[in-house]
Amino acid sequence: METLAESGIMLFVPKMYDIVWSAVILVIVALFFYKFFLPKFQAVFDERAAKIEGGIAKAEQAQKDADEAKAKYEAQLSNARVEASKIRDDARAEASHIVADARSRAEADASQITASAQRAIASQQQQALVSLKGEVGALATALAGKILGSELQDEKVQSSMIDQMIDSMDSDKQ
Amino acid sequence: MDIITLAEVSGNLSAIGYGLAAIGPGIGVGIVFGKAIESTARQPELSGKIQTLMWIGFGLIEFLALLGIVAGFIFA
Amino acid sequence: MHETLLSGLTLAANGPEIPTVDEFLPPEILFQGTPFAMNRIILVRVVMTVIMLIVLGVSAAKAKLIPGRWQGFIEWAIEYVRDKIVYEVMGETRGKRYVPMITTLFFTILLFNICGIIPGMNIAATATIMMPLAFALWTFVQYWRTACREQGFFAYLKKECIPQGVPAPVLIIAIPIQLLDVVVIRPVSLTVRLFANMLAGHIIVALCFSATQFFLIEAHNWMAAFGAATFVFGFIMTLFEGFVAYLQAFIFATLSTVYINLSYPED
Repeated sequence: METLAESGIMLFVPKMYDIVWSAVILVIVALFFYKFFLPKFQAVFDERAAKIEGGIAKAEQAQKDADEAKAKYEAQLSNARVEASKIRDDARAEASHIVADARSRAEADASQITASAQRAIASQQQQALVSLKGEVGALATALAGKILGSELQDEKVQSSMIDQMIDSMDSDKQ
Repeated sequence: MDIITLAEVSGNLSAIGYGLAAIGPGIGVGIVFGKAIESTARQPELSGKIQTLMWIGFGLIEFLALLGIVAGFIFA
Repeated sequence: MHETLLSGLTLAANGPEIPTVDEFLPPEILFQGTPFAMNRIILVRVVMTVIMLIVLGVSAAKAKLIPGRWQGFIEWAIEYVRDKIVYEVMGETRGKRYVPMITTLFFTILLFNICGIIPGMNIAATATIMMPLAFALWTFVQYWRTACREQGFFAYLKKECIPQGVPAPVLIIAIPIQLLDVVVIRPVSLTVRLFANMLAGHIIVALCFSATQFFLIEAHNWMAAFGAATFVFGFIMTLFEGFVAYLQAFIFATLSTVYINLSYPED
C-alpha cells in the first residue's frame, strides 16, 4: 500500500489547476448570488410585502369608509327621527290649535246666536207686551164699560182708568 | 493459496489508529450536543446563545477527529 | 463445504475492486499541464456550476409576485438559510449584510455535495481539497475583516485569546490554543470536515457497490446473498450521503455565521 501512503498526503496538497478552478468558480458563483440571484428574489419579497401592506392599508381604508358611512347614516337616521318627532309635535300642536280655534269660533258663534236669539226674544216680548197692552186696554175698557154700564165717553177718564188699571196690574205683578 | 495466507492481515495500521482517534471526539461531540439540548430545555430563552456556543465547541472537538484523518495520511 | 468456502474466498482474494483515495486524484483529462487542466472532479464541478447558474438564473429571471411550486421551493430555501441559519445566530440587524455570503455558501456547497449521489457524476464537486479551502478562506477573510471593522485587530485578538473568568495558570494553555483556534483551526477544520465527509462517503458507497457487483455478477455461488446485503447497505448509504450533503452544507454555513458573529464585540 505504498501508493496509498504516497498519494494519501497528496489529497491535502492543492494542485495549481485545482486552485485556479476553485477560485474561478467561487468568484463566478459569488457574483451570481450577490449581483443577480438574491437581489432578484429580494425585490420579489419586497414587492410582495409592499403589496400585502398596500392590501391591508386598502382594507383599512375600506373599513374606515364603511365606518364613516355607517356613522353618517346613523346620524342621518337620528336626525330624521328627531325631525319626525318634531313634525309630529308640530302637527299635534297645530291640531290642538285648530281644535281650540274651532271651539272658540263655535263658542263665539253659539254665543252670538244665543245673543241674537235673546235679542229677538226680547224684542218679540216687547212687541207682545205692547200689543198686549193695547189689546188688554181696549178689552178692559170694553169690559169695564159693559160692567159699568155706561160708556166712558170721556177720553180723559178712559185713559186715566187704563193707566190706573195697569198700575195696579204692575203692582200685582210685583 | 493456503489458509495461512488467507488469514494474513493486510492493510494499513492507520485505519485502526483513526478508529481510536475517533472515540474521543465521538464522545465529546455527543456530550456537547446532549448538554446543549439539556440546557436549552432548561432555559429555552437562551437557546440562540447556547446554540452558538454549541457550534463553537463542536468545531473545536470535531477538529480532533479531522486531525486523526489527516494524521493517518501524513504518518502512514 | 470447505472447498466452496475456499473457492469463494479465492475469488474474493482476486477481489472486488476496492476504491482507494486515488479516486480523488484522478488523471488530468483536459488541458493537461496548463494551470487550467481539468480532471474528472473539476469537470463535474464546472458542469454542476453551469447547471446551477442556468437553473437558478432562470428561476430568478422568471420570479413572479405569485410564486409557482418551483419558485415557492426556492423561496423556501432562501428563507430557510436567512431565518434558520443567519438570523438565528446573529439576529436580523447584524445578519443582514452576511445573508448573501451565507446563502452562496449553503447553496453552492449543498449542490456540489449532491453531485456525489447523482448518477453519472458520482463524485462530489467539493471532493478536492481546494474547493472547501476556498470556501473556508472566504469565511476566514470575512471574519477577520469584520473583527477589524467592529472592534479592531488587537481588541479582537485579546477577546478571543484571553477568555474571561479563567484562572491565570490555565491561561498558559488557553492562550496558545485560542490563538491557534482563531488563526488555523477554524479554517482548517471547516475545510477538512467538508472534504473528509465527502471522501469517506464516496469510499463507503463505492465500496458497497463494487462489492455488490463482485458478489452478484462475478461470484456465481452462495455469496450472492452478501451481494444483496451490500446492495441494500449501499442503497441506504447513498440516501445517507444525500443527508450528509445537506448536513455538511448546514454545518459549514452555521459555523461560518458563528465565526463571523464572534468577531462582533460582546453584546
